[in-house]
Amino acid sequence: MLELKGLSRHFGGVKAVDGLDLTVRQGEIVGLIGPNGSGKSTTVNVIAGLFPVTSGEVRFNNESLEGLPTHKRLQRGIARTFQNIRLFGQLSVWQNLWVAQNAPEDHARRGFIARWLGGQSGVRAEIAQLLEFSGLAHKQDELAANLAFGEQRRLELARALAAKPKLLLLDEPAAGMNSEEIGQLRDRILKLRAQGITILLIEHVMELVMGVTDRIAVLNFGQKIAEGRPAEIQADPLVRKAYLGGA
Amino acid sequence: MLDFLQAVSDGLLFGATYALIGIGFTLVFGVMHKLNLAYAAASVGAAYAGLLILQVAAGAPPWVVFLCAFLGGGVIGWLVYVTCFHFIPLSNPLAPLMATVGMLLLIDEIIVHLTAGMPQNYPAMFDDVMLRAGEFTLRGDLLLVAGVSVVCMIALLALLYRTRLGLATRAVSQQAVAAQLCGIRVGQVNAMTFVVTGLLGGIAGALIGASVGALSPLLTAPLTVKGLIVTVIGGLGSIPGAIVAGLLVGALENVFQQFRGVTERDLYVMLLLFAFLIFRPSGLFKQ
Amino acid sequence: MDFYYGLAQTVGIHTLLGLSAYIVLLTGQVTLAQAAFFAIGAYAAGMLTVLAGWHIVPALGASAMFGAATACAVGFPALRVKGLMLVVATLAFGEGVRLFFFNFDYQVAKGEIKVGPLGGEGFRQIRYFQEHGWSTGEVMLFVWVFVVLAMAALWWLDRSRYGAVLRAVGEDELAAQSVGVNLTAVKVSAMTVGGAVAGIGGGLYAHYTTHIEHANFNVLLATFAIAYPIVGGLKNVFGTLAAVIFVQAFLIEGLRFLGDWRNLLFGALIVAAMNLRPQGFLGGRRA
Repeated sequence: MLELKGLSRHFGGVKAVDGLDLTVRQGEIVGLIGPNGSGKSTTVNVIAGLFPVTSGEVRFNNESLEGLPTHKRLQRGIARTFQNIRLFGQLSVWQNLWVAQNAPEDHARRGFIARWLGGQSGVRAEIAQLLEFSGLAHKQDELAANLAFGEQRRLELARALAAKPKLLLLDEPAAGMNSEEIGQLRDRILKLRAQGITILLIEHVMELVMGVTDRIAVLNFGQKIAEGRPAEIQADPLVRKAYLGGA
Repeated sequence: MLDFLQAVSDGLLFGATYALIGIGFTLVFGVMHKLNLAYAAASVGAAYAGLLILQVAAGAPPWVVFLCAFLGGGVIGWLVYVTCFHFIPLSNPLAPLMATVGMLLLIDEIIVHLTAGMPQNYPAMFDDVMLRAGEFTLRGDLLLVAGVSVVCMIALLALLYRTRLGLATRAVSQQAVAAQLCGIRVGQVNAMTFVVTGLLGGIAGALIGASVGALSPLLTAPLTVKGLIVTVIGGLGSIPGAIVAGLLVGALENVFQQFRGVTERDLYVMLLLFAFLIFRPSGLFKQ
Repeated sequence: MDFYYGLAQTVGIHTLLGLSAYIVLLTGQVTLAQAAFFAIGAYAAGMLTVLAGWHIVPALGASAMFGAATACAVGFPALRVKGLMLVVATLAFGEGVRLFFFNFDYQVAKGEIKVGPLGGEGFRQIRYFQEHGWSTGEVMLFVWVFVVLAMAALWWLDRSRYGAVLRAVGEDELAAQSVGVNLTAVKVSAMTVGGAVAGIGGGLYAHYTTHIEHANFNVLLATFAIAYPIVGGLKNVFGTLAAVIFVQAFLIEGLRFLGDWRNLLFGALIVAAMNLRPQGFLGGRRA
């Protein structure tokens, strides 16, 4: 579904991502890990269209994404969450989801007038579903800025789902979570896979990565140094060295 | 050809004042990432404040008036900081902008009140001096304007790059939060930025008054617009940019006026701005 | 009674001006161009009723269209200019339009006299209401029909998905893009709607004052346009209305007994308002 071929992204002299090859097949949950500064977030930003590619290609469903702006990539089916949550703080939980309903099938189903100028009633059911899934139904009219941290993370995820993506890029969704929350996140991710969504998970929290991914790729200094199943990665000496340094 | 060169040279000299105004806007923007729309009005106000000394000491020489305008500018600058930026929380970006508009109106009205709206004569120095080079003349007072402006710019650059305050200012402009964590008192730095730009503005106002020969509250609006245009053409946050752009606008404005008259002059300056916005929106120099 | 009708007309027309800025401010674009669209609407409607003999309603329709078209054209290059630079760019555009009308002559002979815009002298004798025997009360009602329609339309937009999307863009463009919002479409459309509302306001203004000239559409009017929604708060359209009533009815008329001091108070009150309540009368949050 997603193919990165020789992907490079340079910022001046800094090679944030250098010649990365990665394939994510439909229905997989692939993890992307690596020490800080290894290029994980940059990779997500390039896939999402925030930065252009310096060299190499990003292909989605066998089509190059070159030159496609971010909002069009969303309409092709790629959604992402942000590492430092970027909710619309002055809008309510419900409105945050409403604004994000930009999937092409929604566009086709409802007319222009209904989609843009319509009120809330037409989409109540769908948004209610999303709220249910994220455990936020009781807070639907609360301003996003007033939510607790864990709730904000759940809203961030729900908002990405509102656009009915086929590929979900999760950028460190577990940062700052305790064990119980990580467990809930793990269950949610597995449920999403069951619904047919492919996931690329950037993460530091090993508890989550090892427990939920099919395959993991490891980055260091913008290059892929290892790839394999969680158990293999855990045993790999190169990976240990990258994280812990030295012997 | 000679006319053209004459217009250019006069314009360049006058443009030094635009450069000072532009520096004031751009410095505040660079340090606080906010626009102080009251700046040009404050500069004109400071120039008027300079005239106040003549109420006290009737025969005072022009340089005393300029000095008072200079100091008055610093005071007014500090006042603008306190009323528009110190108390308003950062989470409301539009409020300080609106507050500076309020100050602009207030300063304008105070001027009108105190002078009954009548233009006031402004003392000039060397206005009877003309340097000649063949058929080419350089007005003495304009040379002074340019000279003083250059001295001020050098002093400012020295302040920014050779003093601790300047270092702190540059730190705050790049990373305000980190600067605070390093112990820099951001509030103080911001206040000082306003005082320094106020001093510059005071001198600029006095110089404009001196070269035009009179001050009027009607100067405020066009000066605000021109100052902002210079700031944008030069690149928001760039002092060298403001300097070059100020000179450029001064020269071009005078040339336009020479060849197309006063009414069309401003239209052409506007077109210059639009050209920059379309082809080079970041201005001449980046921050 | 005529006095109150006149005041109500002024409040109504300024509310339209404020509303035109309100919708653009929601998207986070600070625009000083609304007075320019207002001016275009004014001259357009005036010329259509005076020179071409049109009925006032289609003339206002044309005003709306001209305002919208110009705003749309401005909206695209405005996208390339970020944050406070947009303030300057729109300010310059507004000044450019004003200068255009300063130089604009289009006179037609009607009987023995010539009518139409005449450059610096402006456009006199826009006497549609007088020639058709409208009373002051009838004009007031006519103005307010449009104000109520505009407020209702914007209120409805506010409650629709488009309104939520506008506010999302105003809050975080990056996040909005990432959830599929087309920033260009949203920002340009908001600007266009604002242009239409400003155009209608301008058209009504021209007929209610009967004489318009370039100086009416200056930087001050442009700042009034954004002052109303900022001082009133961006929560909903009633904030803007409240601010217009506060400024026009309370400050300008109600404090008339203060004479000249009233103008001083004006600037000072804006500064005070922004310090005491930076989020505006009604605030900016939405439940």
